[in-house]
Amino acid sequence: MGFVIKPNINSSSFHLSGRSFFIRRRQKKKKKKTRRGEMAEDQKKKSCRFWIWALSSVVFRLILISFPGNLNLSSRPEVSTPLTSIRRLAEGYWLKQASMSPYAGSMYHGSPLLLSVLGPLTVQRIKGQPSHLLCSLVFVIADILSAMLLRGIGKKLQMAYGLNARLLGLLKSSRDKGILPCGDIAALVYLWNPFTIVSCVGLSTSPIENLAVILALFGAVTRRVPLAAFGLVIATHLSLYPATLTIPIVIILGYGLDAPPIKLFLQTRSVENEESSTPTVSKQPKLKQTTRLPFLWKTVAHFLFWVLLWSLCVLVLCAFSLNKYGGLDEMFKRTYGFILSIEDLSPNIGVFWYFFAEVFDFFRNFFLIVFHVNILFMLLPLAIRLKHRPCFLAFIYLAISSILKSYPSVGDSSLYLSLWALFVNELVDMKFSFFLFCGYLGISLLSPVMHNLWIWRGTGNANFYFGNAIGYACFQIVFVVESVSAMLNHDRALKRCINTNHGEVKN
Amino acid sequence: MKILILVMLLCSSFAFSSGDTTIHTNNWAVLVCTSRFWFNYRHMANTLSLYRTVKRLGIPDERIILMLADDMACNARNEYPAQVFNNENHKLNLYGDNVEVDYRGYEVTVENFLRVLTGRHENAVPRSKRLLSDEGSHILLYMTGHGGDEFLKFQDAEELQSHDLADAVKQMKEKRRFKELMIMVDTCQAATLFNQLQSPGVLAIGSSLKGENSYSHHLDSDIGVSVVDRFTYYTLAFFERLNIYDNASLNSLFRSYDPRQLMSTAYYRTDLYQRHLVEVPVTNFFGSVMETIHTDSAYEAFSSRISDSKINSDMPFNQPSEQDLKEELQNANIPSDKLKTEKEKCPYTQMRTDFNEKLEKFENVDTVVNLSIAVMVVVVIVSSSLLR
Repeated sequence: MGFVIKPNINSSSFHLSGRSFFIRRRQKKKKKKTRRGEMAEDQKKKSCRFWIWALSSVVFRLILISFPGNLNLSSRPEVSTPLTSIRRLAEGYWLKQASMSPYAGSMYHGSPLLLSVLGPLTVQRIKGQPSHLLCSLVFVIADILSAMLLRGIGKKLQMAYGLNARLLGLLKSSRDKGILPCGDIAALVYLWNPFTIVSCVGLSTSPIENLAVILALFGAVTRRVPLAAFGLVIATHLSLYPATLTIPIVIILGYGLDAPPIKLFLQTRSVENEESSTPTVSKQPKLKQTTRLPFLWKTVAHFLFWVLLWSLCVLVLCAFSLNKYGGLDEMFKRTYGFILSIEDLSPNIGVFWYFFAEVFDFFRNFFLIVFHVNILFMLLPLAIRLKHRPCFLAFIYLAISSILKSYPSVGDSSLYLSLWALFVNELVDMKFSFFLFCGYLGISLLSPVMHNLWIWRGTGNANFYFGNAIGYACFQIVFVVESVSAMLNHDRALKRCINTNHGEVKN
Repeated sequence: MKILILVMLLCSSFAFSSGDTTIHTNNWAVLVCTSRFWFNYRHMANTLSLYRTVKRLGIPDERIILMLADDMACNARNEYPAQVFNNENHKLNLYGDNVEVDYRGYEVTVENFLRVLTGRHENAVPRSKRLLSDEGSHILLYMTGHGGDEFLKFQDAEELQSHDLADAVKQMKEKRRFKELMIMVDTCQAATLFNQLQSPGVLAIGSSLKGENSYSHHLDSDIGVSVVDRFTYYTLAFFERLNIYDNASLNSLFRSYDPRQLMSTAYYRTDLYQRHLVEVPVTNFFGSVMETIHTDSAYEAFSSRISDSKINSDMPFNQPSEQDLKEELQNANIPSDKLKTEKEKCPYTQMRTDFNEKLEKFENVDTVVNLSIAVMVVVVIVSSSLLR
């Protein structure tokens, strides 16, 4: 189901058919000034509501933090993985203070920079307050920053959407009334997603990793090249998988933001040219010259320079920090090596722990390669197909790496779910959305139950929990596939609309 | 330089085969009751009391060889079935839940006793019946029963003579089965039993001299027999005041025996024992309190550098065994080789090593890293606001 455009010359009306959204068409003409005043008031109301919801989510987090023991969320395997657990960070910090390598004993597997920043906070205790309070506050601040940055990204995307719609002749006036404020929606989805709240209160370092990824995307979208490079380098340093975001960020910086395929713009322009004057042969070579968007090599080179600079800084700092304890080799072996070789087989919400617990040693390397190439081989085809929508491509890459990474947690899901909310305008007709919502809800409720049955009561076994994890992976895969197909359907619908538009105009 | 000192130590450890360079690593106890029959109730009560004391002070069952005739607790004449007391107040049941007897009944023979001491068993003898001591062990050997001039009666059928015992101890010394051995004998004319001992590192105490008898302490009118011997009674009285953390010395134990109360002279022999009794805590033999040595290199990850620097400082204090020395030699060899090959390289690596050494001296790495991260963040903000 696409959306039906009724080209009305007098007033603009953007009537979206579909189950989700319905706008009352304004039939009566009002004065432009009052319309503008109404728009400003609407905007004010909307931003007020947004801030109210945002602040209430922060208050909610603070209330949850004040509970003793963080509601035992930091011990849940869905929330804290060997890479993101705060207890392991505290252990690594203690080891460092005891003049031993922070990676000794195979507890801590994260970045030494994170250790220097968060480590002292895990030790400081304020009287009468729950332990790790300062760390919780840091994560709350990280969540707030991520939400603000998402709002910024969303605003840009919304503007770009409106601009593209106008260029394609789908939206006549300058009022973006039908376009949903995807920035606000994405920020609120991020703040109120139970997964995010649970990762924040459960003291996993996912909020900081998510912040780095969102920072990279924000920098790319607002064309702040050093910021994008910084975000990308920090995100890759903290967890290996955001390295795949290099491709979408380079496309954003080179070609620009998400837009419908170029062909549609060219068709519009060719029709306009036909409208304005009689078609002559001399027009055609012009068309051929401009069939491709210019790729901004300078910006991309600038970006790569900044990436190299930041990575050099980070590596020098890490080498300095780990000087006595093995240096960079040790760090790479224990962080990236740990991620890639899946040494820790404690249960989590992913599927690899069960598999590698039963695979023979002889085949272990083979299967490691298979599972990691599983992510890698999807990058190029998706990039080719979705190169006109690089933000969406970034979302897809993040979703795939959340499903197929070595130690997934709900913090990763919270990131890609909020990035999905950035594309509500295009993905409004996604199929199976209710089914997926119920699936996610069911899985997240059943997961602690199965874990309890297996570990604490002993009436279940590992298959219960693993079945849950498989179900979760299936739902995530269906989600990704459906969003990609919804996006492609949106593009096809746009194409059809434009064709019918021009067909009508011609006739 | 380091290697020379290590080699010297190695040679010295080979030269000193007298156990001077070994460290005390574990404690064993061999408790033998050599009598049977109901009227020898007190001998079994002696042994079980000492078993309980030794367990209480820390020696586990795996390190205790208990040899009893074990016919008291379930004897038809026992008014208190499955209970053995060493006092008429019946406060303490010695035959409680966790008494592990290794040799019982007719297995308590001189042959088995000597096999236990020397370690020469048949193949099929299980580990729980073997004395698996090594050169770092302190062994307590307690024997009680009926004895006489240079002999000890075993189960009313055979006897162990003093030269048999001395011979067994000499074999143990040859095979390095103990670091120090303490023999405590509670029989009549006990001191004669260790007349023939010659091996160094042996301390022996007996409850009576030649020509003296050792007497029982008191008669329990309920059970009908004497329940404990005097020597053992006063030994237990000494130990009941102790817990695992006390460091009362052997000297205080030996001084606590009053000849008037014992009605015999508790004679001890220290000519074969080098250390002063004042310095030796009783838990060296009667309990198991081990000296812990704290090392910093707890984890394997990258500890070779730390152990390298520790070799120099630890050598005067610790006298490691051969295996440790060999490992340290290997560790010491590897970094020295690395240094040699590095120096042969170009001056760039020389500069880098100098830089690294300078960095190593830097104390507060943390604050520098935090400052740099803050600087990085500031640069990001500034550059992103300027460059668009």
